[in-house]
Amino acid sequence: MTAYVRAAARAFEMSMKLRAVNPFTNFGWLVFPLIFVILGLALLGGGGRTAYAILGGGLLGYWGMAYVEGANEIQNERWSGTLEQIMGCPTPLAVIVVGKLCSSLLFGALSFLPAIAVGYFAFHQSLQNIDPGPFAVSFLVLTFAFFCMAVTLAPLYAMWRWAFSVTNGFEIGVYVLGGFMFPISHLPSWLQLVASGFAPTWAVRSLYAATGQPFGHDYALWWAVSIALSCAYLVIGWFLYRMVDVRARATGQLALA
Amino acid sequence: MNSVRIFFRTCWFQYRAMFNWATPIGYLSYKFLQPVGQILFFTELGIFATGRSNALYFALGNALQLTAINGIFGVVMSVGNERQFGTLPILLGSPANRLVTFLGRAFVHVLDGIAGVAVGLVLAVVMFQIDLSHANLGLLAMCVGIISLSTAGLGLMFGSLSLIMRDVFVIANAVYYLLLVFCGINIPVSRLPEWAQVISTALPLTRGVEAAREVVTGASLAKVSGLIAGELAIGLAYALIGYAMFRWLEHQARRGGLQEAY
Repeated sequence: MTAYVRAAARAFEMSMKLRAVNPFTNFGWLVFPLIFVILGLALLGGGGRTAYAILGGGLLGYWGMAYVEGANEIQNERWSGTLEQIMGCPTPLAVIVVGKLCSSLLFGALSFLPAIAVGYFAFHQSLQNIDPGPFAVSFLVLTFAFFCMAVTLAPLYAMWRWAFSVTNGFEIGVYVLGGFMFPISHLPSWLQLVASGFAPTWAVRSLYAATGQPFGHDYALWWAVSIALSCAYLVIGWFLYRMVDVRARATGQLALA
Repeated sequence: MNSVRIFFRTCWFQYRAMFNWATPIGYLSYKFLQPVGQILFFTELGIFATGRSNALYFALGNALQLTAINGIFGVVMSVGNERQFGTLPILLGSPANRLVTFLGRAFVHVLDGIAGVAVGLVLAVVMFQIDLSHANLGLLAMCVGIISLSTAGLGLMFGSLSLIMRDVFVIANAVYYLLLVFCGINIPVSRLPEWAQVISTALPLTRGVEAAREVVTGASLAKVSGLIAGELAIGLAYALIGYAMFRWLEHQARRGGLQEAY
């Protein structure tokens, strides 16, 4: 167990170093949220909906880092020609991916800093009426949901090149389903049903409720649903990692997908 | 005659490169899922912010802006990938006419961009019941074609940076999303601060989208001809600047030995 923690920690450390000098990572957490916060504040203006612009911009950056930077790590190893070495070493692939994902989530969490800064300095708007306890727990639940989604998506990207194209193509659609910049109650009912199977949606709802949005205070229920869905993703992810491992060794086509 | 042959061969290889890499599912996801996601997100955000009566504004603007997927991402990466895949020194070493090679990089993306906008417009009609009954569809198609050309001009300009830059995809991303802010796609240009309005007048899409919006409400060619001519001129200017940059940066890349610096 200690060996696994050490391997994950090393993967995290190496990944942090690589990300710190990667322009795409820095675009993802620094510039990308800014554009959406500006757009959001220009459209939504001040008042009660400010949170959707500021937090929304941060959420977009956070999710982008989780699914592009984190989940795509296996694909990046393939393109760097290092995937065979990782697969061939005694440490399970999932352990390495977890370390790398933690670093992408840490960078993703930074997205909220430029979002809050541009809101405050450029538009004189800030997050108000924050209920600190529920807000902090909601943020942790959201992080867990993003983590589980990225863990599950990573082996999909490794097996099928088109899987990333599909998720990347639907990136902005995820903003809709997650309710990142407007409440999903605004959407047609069939789309709300689809969104309810998406773990971050529930965590995002509780996050906005903790900033004074009129959703009620069913925090425990929202957190429970989000965590349950996230755990379901992890179970699916476990099977997918097994599949990647078996396929890679059986076909020897690890570098070719 | 030789230049024509090079142009069409470049277009053909560009087409093959694009579709050999993209699996059908991957390609269709960019052609359908991205338009669905973008139109749905920005239209619902616009409705949340301003009310359902403005759905047309957001749906139409974002459907038209989809051309930038090809015009910016496609064109920038078609030049940028030469470096990533190690073929840039071969390209720069060839005696082929640079202008023809350069324009051939963009042409397939212009056509694919037009197809992307057509998909976007159909989705906008289906999802938000956009009323195109007053529109002169031929004139709207012309606006779409011109927007695709002008956006590709901007893409060529930024694509040429890949001769000396490794991470041009970051620039493509930034430009794509900034167009959503500055070009009257989601925020009317008149509502932008003055400095931002100056930027928007110097960008492709701004006039083309404005012309298309007027055409949808029934405007004639005479009424939008100034906007269309302006859009064409902007696109041409960017393409020319891009070509000049391409030649200059090619020279810099040769001098600095940067062609293979990846």
